[in-house]
Amino acid sequence: MRRFLFFLPVLPISMLLWGVLPSGEVGGSEGIVGSEICKGCHEDHYQSYLKSTHAKKGIPGSPASKDACESCHGPGAAHVEKSGERGVGIFIFSKRIADAKSKSAKCLSCHEENRDLSSWDLSKHKSSDVSCDNCHTVHSGTRKNLKAAQPDLCNICHRSIRMQQNKTSHHPIREGKLKCTDCHDHHGGFGPRMVKSKTFNDLCYSCHAEKRGPYMWDHPPVDENCLTCHTAHGSNHAKLLVSKIPELCQSCHDWTQHPGSIYTNQNTFQGNARSNRMFARACLNCHSAIHGSNAPSARGKTHVR
Amino acid sequence: MKSRALLFALIFSLMTIAEAPAEEMKISGEATVTAQHLNINGEKAKFNEYRDYRDGFTGDAEFQYERGNYYMDFTATNIGRKDQSYDFSGGKWGSFKYDFKYDQIPHNFTYDAKSFYNGIGGANLTYGTHPPTTNFGTWNTFDYSLERSNFSGGIKFDLLKPFFFDVSVSQMTNKGVYPLGVAGTTPGGIAIELPSPIEYTTNNMKLAAGYIKNPLSLSVSYLYSQFIDQKSNLNFRNPATANTAATTDTYTLPPNNDSYKLDFQGTLKLPLNSKFSADLAIGQTTSSFNLANSYVSNVTAAASNIGQQGRSGVLLSDYVFNGKFETQNYNFVLTSNPLHYLDGKLFYKYNQRKNKSDEITTVDGANTFINAPFGYKTSKGGGQIGFKLPASFYLSGAYSYAEIEREGREDIPKDKDNLYDIELRWSGVDFMVAKAAYQRLHRVAEFESPAVTGRTDVKNIETYIRRYDAASKDQDTYKVSFDFFPIEDLNFSLGYKYVYANYPDTILGLNEATRNGVSVDGDYFFLKQARLFGYFDYEYVKYKQLQRQLPSGTTAFNPDLPPTSTAFNWTVCQTEKNYSYGLGADLFILPKKWTLRLQTNYYQSDGFADLSYLLGTNPLPAGRTNSNIDISNWDDYRITNYVIKAIYTMDKNLSFVAGWAYEKYVYNDAQLNGYLYVPGTTGTGGAYLTGAYADPNYRANVYFLNATMRF
Repeated sequence: MRRFLFFLPVLPISMLLWGVLPSGEVGGSEGIVGSEICKGCHEDHYQSYLKSTHAKKGIPGSPASKDACESCHGPGAAHVEKSGERGVGIFIFSKRIADAKSKSAKCLSCHEENRDLSSWDLSKHKSSDVSCDNCHTVHSGTRKNLKAAQPDLCNICHRSIRMQQNKTSHHPIREGKLKCTDCHDHHGGFGPRMVKSKTFNDLCYSCHAEKRGPYMWDHPPVDENCLTCHTAHGSNHAKLLVSKIPELCQSCHDWTQHPGSIYTNQNTFQGNARSNRMFARACLNCHSAIHGSNAPSARGKTHVR
Repeated sequence: MKSRALLFALIFSLMTIAEAPAEEMKISGEATVTAQHLNINGEKAKFNEYRDYRDGFTGDAEFQYERGNYYMDFTATNIGRKDQSYDFSGGKWGSFKYDFKYDQIPHNFTYDAKSFYNGIGGANLTYGTHPPTTNFGTWNTFDYSLERSNFSGGIKFDLLKPFFFDVSVSQMTNKGVYPLGVAGTTPGGIAIELPSPIEYTTNNMKLAAGYIKNPLSLSVSYLYSQFIDQKSNLNFRNPATANTAATTDTYTLPPNNDSYKLDFQGTLKLPLNSKFSADLAIGQTTSSFNLANSYVSNVTAAASNIGQQGRSGVLLSDYVFNGKFETQNYNFVLTSNPLHYLDGKLFYKYNQRKNKSDEITTVDGANTFINAPFGYKTSKGGGQIGFKLPASFYLSGAYSYAEIEREGREDIPKDKDNLYDIELRWSGVDFMVAKAAYQRLHRVAEFESPAVTGRTDVKNIETYIRRYDAASKDQDTYKVSFDFFPIEDLNFSLGYKYVYANYPDTILGLNEATRNGVSVDGDYFFLKQARLFGYFDYEYVKYKQLQRQLPSGTTAFNPDLPPTSTAFNWTVCQTEKNYSYGLGADLFILPKKWTLRLQTNYYQSDGFADLSYLLGTNPLPAGRTNSNIDISNWDDYRITNYVIKAIYTMDKNLSFVAGWAYEKYVYNDAQLNGYLYVPGTTGTGGAYLTGAYADPNYRANVYFLNATMRF
């Protein structure tokens, strides 16, 4: 705990110091030419813009209710004066021209006061140079202006997750019954790994409330973190387990008699020494109450009732 | 609850229409009717694990309405199927929005499972003649399957900007039958697989209110969640015990619980592109459970405190268990981007789960047990800094320190984690972004030696065990990725990840874990005539662990002792080789008229468990060698699928799709091959099983035809 004490003076001093320094914000909007001028050269873009939510005049503060194209791309007068020279005087949402922070800043200039975006600064996406336009298209009329449907959209960057989702034991993500954003706060938040809860267990309990307990006989690693035994995105092993039973259980439970005994190919249905600690569901053939039990005596303590 | 929510939905939709000013009304939508024919050999449950493909018709629908500032959306998918969903939303831009959803998710495990029990699906499993017949052909058949339904509704108000107010409710139900296992007698008895009823309801309500106006945002939310299990116990006649009337055994099902969380969040913008964010939350979860005062034990004398033969009575300090967790979460984050080439973050997080559950003393004959409620707290602090460097490089580094303290866990009450991150990105050319990252975790676990009562106390072995979730650990992670986009219509990506974890203090338990993964994917639009896409993923996983087998009453706990035939070490090295690929093409045969989609996906996993007896000069048990004990089919499987789809767009209002999909699943695992419902009726080789997960293989063809009308 003492190691965190250094943060205590750092925060107020930082705030105080930065509070007296001048702000870096700039503003001003002159040279608006109007969207008809833009349309003259950029007909395709203009038509796709018309399909988007941005083109709805009824939405307070929408580009359509302000300066249309120039709400996002900036005043076009200089660009027009230079006969439409690429990049002159206007803002282009291209990774080759504008960096991620500049692009996001453009979007946030209108969307910052949206309650779903108040934690954008905390997001790993922001610090990894992901900008709004990586996922959203400012033109066209897709749902939430997304460039693709989940999970394909997320898998473009999170390639290793794609492989997990394809495994035999998985949450119904590829079936479309669960979306990445059901668990993750893509716009940032206080949870670990951008999950929507303060802890992993809180997130899992939101669908698996029966695991919340509290139980008389709990199983500490389970109570501390579901991800001790389970992996969220997919596994080769039943129940999204990180490895196969009995080895998974034995890596912690190595006592005398059966918890520490070696179970091999010979203890399966087809072996010469069948054991109900190995065939079928191995440990789970007897110890099903591994998330907790309220059974009496050793029946509860060993999670068999 | 559902009817009330529907009523709200109706009221709001009527408000939308009634209040809308006389402005142009826009209505659009589409309706799709799909005819499906399924031809399947094998396990339908695995094929339809989370879906509902079958012969017949289904449909999808979308409807959008707009008038002035008002809008309404309705979406329905898989209408009439077990995986159907409906979403109805709407509102007034900038003022309020509502959203009502109904979603069903099936979860099928095994169809046509078998059990000698009667009353499957209920909380009392019985059978007639004892012992139950081993002729499983005469047993009852049933399906292991769950059906989850989620109904939710919410309204977000922004009428009094910058203030907002949100309210949402949801009800989730989960019903069906799920496999549980119990030991007939313990230890050393048969295993019995029980079809357990699942009948859960979870009700949630969330209220949130706040203020957002630059530079400040504040919000407070309250979440209440109630879990109801319609059945508190599963009673079953235990075939492993003497056939007396007192042999109705009991498995305790999850207890009802109530949970709430109160959360305050705030952000304050500071000069120099800085922001301070804070989050303070408290919560509580409670449960209550009536504890049993006896259990089936097969004793011959009537237990003194309950007067029943075949049961053992226990004395409890309290016969009602009251469970209670209290949680506290605090998060403080300062982010800053004071200069265009510099950004940083400082943070502190604190999580505590205090377990205030009852400690119950159980006296069971000569044994006394006391439960030890488990709780923990985590403090974590750290910082991150990033620099834009010349030549389009970006370098970031991060460090965090965490302490985890546990109560109610004797072996490792405390961990200290040091986590270091460094990442370098380069975007110096127009056609590529490259990233390289390294992370090191150094965890120091404070091990607490067990209090032992003598040389034969089994707790002596704890001295050598380190449980991997908390054990001292050094983990290195390397990541490299390249994203190429040389021309507008071509994207190509490559990623590699390597993770190696070593547990330096672990003698018995998981010693090493390695994971290697490569991913490649690409997407190419070819002369606007075709889109080609594909991916390839490869992963290699390895776990190495050392274990020790010991007889009861031993004193030979030290793994360094010379092996004997009954007290010896053994090792297992588990590996998984996984790869998958997908290839596809959209061929625009007649642009905007005829499109043909061809796609194939393949996934393969090969597992292996390399087991070794470390017996020295002692012989292996009869019939075993260090090679015939290895397991080569260790959750092996292959999934192959093909899809061919022809899309005909007649005009902007009408399109048709006809297609064929094929999927084959082949599973091969030593624990299930040669499956027996009754491999024996006594001892540790005995079991009464039900066929859960026994044979998930299938081969399926799906033929489909659909028509979509747009308006």
